[in-house]
Amino acid sequence: MAMKYLDKYPKDTAKGLWVVKPMWTVMKLFAKVIPRRSMTIMYPYEKEWIPDNYRGRPGLQFDKCVGCGLCARMCPTACICLVETTDDEGKKVKRPQVNLGRCMMCGYCAEYCPVDAMTVTPEIELAEYTREDLIYGPRRLRFEGVNEMMEVHIEEHLISNVQKGILDQPTSAFEVDRPVLEEAKCIGCQKCFKVCPVGAIEMYEAGVNEKGKPKKIPRIDTDKCICCKNCVDDCPKSCLHIKEVL
Amino acid sequence: MSYSSILEWITFHNPMDNPFYPFGDLYNLPYDWAYKIWEFLGGLVAWLINLLFPGNVVSTWLISDQVVNVFALLLFMLIIFLVVFVGTLLSLWEERKVLGRMMDRRGTQVGLKGFLQCVADGLKTFMKENVVPKKVDKMTYMWTVSLVIGTSVLIACMIPLSDRWFVVSYDTGLLIIMALFALAPFFILVSGWAQNNKYSLIGGMRAAELMISYEIPMLILIGTVILMAGSFNISDIVHAQYDTVWYFIPQVIGMITFFWCSIAESERVPFDLAEAEAELVEGWQTEYAGMKWGLIMLADYFRGYVACAMGVILYFGGWMLPGIGDLNNAMPEIVFLLKTWLMFFMMIWVRATLARVRTDQILNIGWKIFTPLAVINLLIVVLLKFGGVF
Repeated sequence: MAMKYLDKYPKDTAKGLWVVKPMWTVMKLFAKVIPRRSMTIMYPYEKEWIPDNYRGRPGLQFDKCVGCGLCARMCPTACICLVETTDDEGKKVKRPQVNLGRCMMCGYCAEYCPVDAMTVTPEIELAEYTREDLIYGPRRLRFEGVNEMMEVHIEEHLISNVQKGILDQPTSAFEVDRPVLEEAKCIGCQKCFKVCPVGAIEMYEAGVNEKGKPKKIPRIDTDKCICCKNCVDDCPKSCLHIKEVL
Repeated sequence: MSYSSILEWITFHNPMDNPFYPFGDLYNLPYDWAYKIWEFLGGLVAWLINLLFPGNVVSTWLISDQVVNVFALLLFMLIIFLVVFVGTLLSLWEERKVLGRMMDRRGTQVGLKGFLQCVADGLKTFMKENVVPKKVDKMTYMWTVSLVIGTSVLIACMIPLSDRWFVVSYDTGLLIIMALFALAPFFILVSGWAQNNKYSLIGGMRAAELMISYEIPMLILIGTVILMAGSFNISDIVHAQYDTVWYFIPQVIGMITFFWCSIAESERVPFDLAEAEAELVEGWQTEYAGMKWGLIMLADYFRGYVACAMGVILYFGGWMLPGIGDLNNAMPEIVFLLKTWLMFFMMIWVRATLARVRTDQILNIGWKIFTPLAVINLLIVVLLKFGGVF
């Protein structure tokens, strides 16, 4: 038997009169609110304070960037691509270009930048007249007054540290994870050597291959390496992989 | 004919000496102003004409008693309307600002601390296209909205601001204001029918339903006040309160009930069933566009002003303040308007607090709560009357 509406909510006429409590609440709030200024901000004339590490548009420190392309790989909306430009000395280098029409200001590019060249900026007023104007080249991405608070990092607690009881030393993955080589698979094609943006890989003679010819295999300078994974991605025989430090 | 000085043409008479003075023995301040303004303007024109054509008939006609009276009445209407209009716009502004602050916003910001928002709204609606839907019943559609707006403005102008600021002061003044006040729901019902739209029709029905629930207790309450004061004349009611106490002290139940009924009468939240914009897309106003809608909104605020003014007259001593003696003659109009805006503040407070009642609840509230309370209030007053307290 279905429950009647009136059984569930019996009519209480006295309750209908009871509007005093909400009115009292509103008056209390009104009395609390009226001495101070209201929450509304007169936006174009006054602006809210924005912290330095606010996820605004990405900014780029051109000289710090090594062109590893990790930002382009990590971007969830695929709005970053590497373009070829000339640096201050006239050399051809690859630097990121950001399409801010697609950017969702997540700040991953800045978090994953191994050299902290990509930063977040507190700049949020980005309106332009055309869509083309929203594409920021590497030089235009520069932000005046960049400081270290804008260089946001992605840090993690290593499991080994936690097991040892060290909880206050987060580590950047780019400092500890390093590529390792399976020498047996390597064919000595030198692709990793060519693709490394920081020159951390050098090739050295290491015996001969199965055809009896001398072959060069890479040696990775762990101090120089920034763990950009370019060598891992470009290896044709999948003989490089990142060894995670746990 | 020799040159006549301008001072011979502009003479400020006492308007009560005019044999055609329309207010009997009562002094009327806005009429006095209007009379003096016309004596100045008409005298100036008459003097100029007399300079060009000495000894003509028009000049003497312009400053004769009858003509001055007619033009003074026109100016008098203008003054009365402008004061009510500006007062209503101020209450609109008050609603915007106070409601904003209650929600921790700033409220409107356009010019003069937001007052010019009303002007901006008026200009905006004025420039809109006058759209009339094809399948509406044109005659009823136009007449009903005109009558809603017309009666609202009429009763707003008929509210006396003081002993010396009134349009009519006769013995059934209160009754005629309440009668015209209660007319709007009929027009809303007919208008909702005429618009050929389901939302409007439901809105019109709801207006009628609302009216049968609040009108009875409201009339009982007004009758109670009239019983206590012994007169239908608004001025007499106010003076009776000045002589005894403000009626909200003996009739506190009646005051509260009247307050809620007057909210329902002016169709404001929580009793805005007829125009429930969340469910009925502005209800009975759905098909009205442009300036028609703007005037309907203005009429809503006129009715809100009238409801507050009636509350002030019936329960809060009208334009008099107790205990200040002859100072009451200084600025009774300002006192009255301030009280009205204070009452309107209460309405805004209710609006900021409560949600709209359901259609099935309104009849319960009207008949099971308001009517018994009104009757209890009436009994209290009857006992007080028989006990000889009042």
